[in-house]
Amino acid sequence: MAMQDTKIVGDSFQVGVRFQRYWDTSMANAFFCGELGAGLFFVAWLFDFVPGMVAGMLITGIFKTYFHIAHMGVPMKSWRAISRPDRSWISRGLMAIVFYLAFGTAHCLNLAFDLETAWGLGSAVGNLVQLLAACAALVVMTYQGFAMSHSTAISLWNTVLMPISSLTYALTGGAVLTLALGWYSLFAGLPHERESLTNGIVLMLLIDAFVLISVLFSANKRSRGGKVSASLLLKGTYRQAFLFLVVGVGLVFPTLILVLVPISFPAVLLATAAVLVGYYCYRLLIFKAGVYEPMMSFR
Amino acid sequence: MARYGMVFDLKRCIGCNACVIGCKQENSLPDGMFFTRTLSEEYGVYPAVNRVYIPTLCNHCEDAPCEKVCPSGATYTRDDGIVMVNADICIGCGSCAVACPYDQRSQVDKDLLSHGLFGSDELTPFEEDGYKRFVPGTITKCDFCSERVDAGLDPACVVTCPTEARIFGDLDDPDSKPSKLIRERDGKPPMPELKTRPKVYYVD
Repeated sequence: MAMQDTKIVGDSFQVGVRFQRYWDTSMANAFFCGELGAGLFFVAWLFDFVPGMVAGMLITGIFKTYFHIAHMGVPMKSWRAISRPDRSWISRGLMAIVFYLAFGTAHCLNLAFDLETAWGLGSAVGNLVQLLAACAALVVMTYQGFAMSHSTAISLWNTVLMPISSLTYALTGGAVLTLALGWYSLFAGLPHERESLTNGIVLMLLIDAFVLISVLFSANKRSRGGKVSASLLLKGTYRQAFLFLVVGVGLVFPTLILVLVPISFPAVLLATAAVLVGYYCYRLLIFKAGVYEPMMSFR
Repeated sequence: MARYGMVFDLKRCIGCNACVIGCKQENSLPDGMFFTRTLSEEYGVYPAVNRVYIPTLCNHCEDAPCEKVCPSGATYTRDDGIVMVNADICIGCGSCAVACPYDQRSQVDKDLLSHGLFGSDELTPFEEDGYKRFVPGTITKCDFCSERVDAGLDPACVVTCPTEARIFGDLDDPDSKPSKLIRERDGKPPMPELKTRPKVYYVD
């Protein structure tokens, strides 16, 4: 492979690698809020933790919506994004968000006010509503990864590991936030449940690390553009941010805190902040390091 | 119905970029936006160094990934095979731009349309008239000069090329110039491993 094939050429009229520039910070913010909110809802749902579910829906419903509309070239026509669920992951995701918020709200109201009993609906209806909400939240957690993985243009994204990393990071973020939000309410006087969730978070962090390594390894092996992307993250422009924030702060630091330090609220808060910083930086850097494969060479 | 495509003869292309200028003029493209680019590539080791010029534009793929991912249905393929973008429907999400393996899409910058080429807030009469075709914030791309094609003319880049390195025509007509070139000189599409089935070919 010639040097020129992996040269970053920007906008110049040369054969080489170019940065993708269409999905930028506002899109990364939208992706982050969408996945984190859905992850928080899902984990909180497992514990019947209403404040967590509400917080998750607010993060997705307000912040993801705001950042998506901020990204759109024509915000007033954003509603059209729901038009092609037969082909587009963006459309499918938008429908999933609607279902997740609608059924999620219904489930929270049911838990808060026992609407099943009040309206004589029976538990089957309540179970169906919560199951639909949880399934929709699962779709919201993963659809953005699927949308990215369909980009044959950008090797770093073009892998089944994209939706997997979206899911694992979302669940990790949701789990730490549930632990932090529920420390004095849901988990008050329940040290065993606290410890179980803490252990679960540590396991998720290890899985996140494994998925991250796999993403970089697979990109590096797959193509010239993938090699450039991996190189940007590990050796190039984004090396410091990636290694320090995504790996160090986002994965290593919270793992050490949760394993070595006796479980306490300040420790959990610190771990939560670190996980969220690392998660956000991962989202942002995956966008920034995405490059188009070099146009063909006819040599 | 015709199935329009284009062939680039790399033996004829001299990298003058007249096609780029012709396209910008025909389509009133603002500064920094290109529907076609002629890329250059150097290869070899001194003293045996050589340079090749590779014209590029939207490949109007049969299996266009941009059309598949478009959530609003703005990207569509005409009966004659030309892939178009309906600016009235486009929401400017950029999904098509990140899906296109050839990086041939551009987003219409709102500021550029208001400031014009010379950076002042005054548009020239040419810009005023030409920019009307763009909807700020939407994604746009080469459409093989569809209005010219509908009028029986060739795209502007084809007409402008001084060496006739760009050949446009009906790929379904075995006697058309592009079909003959592809057959006789083993025309290859760009990045065929991606299975997008481009309707643009290269002969060397």
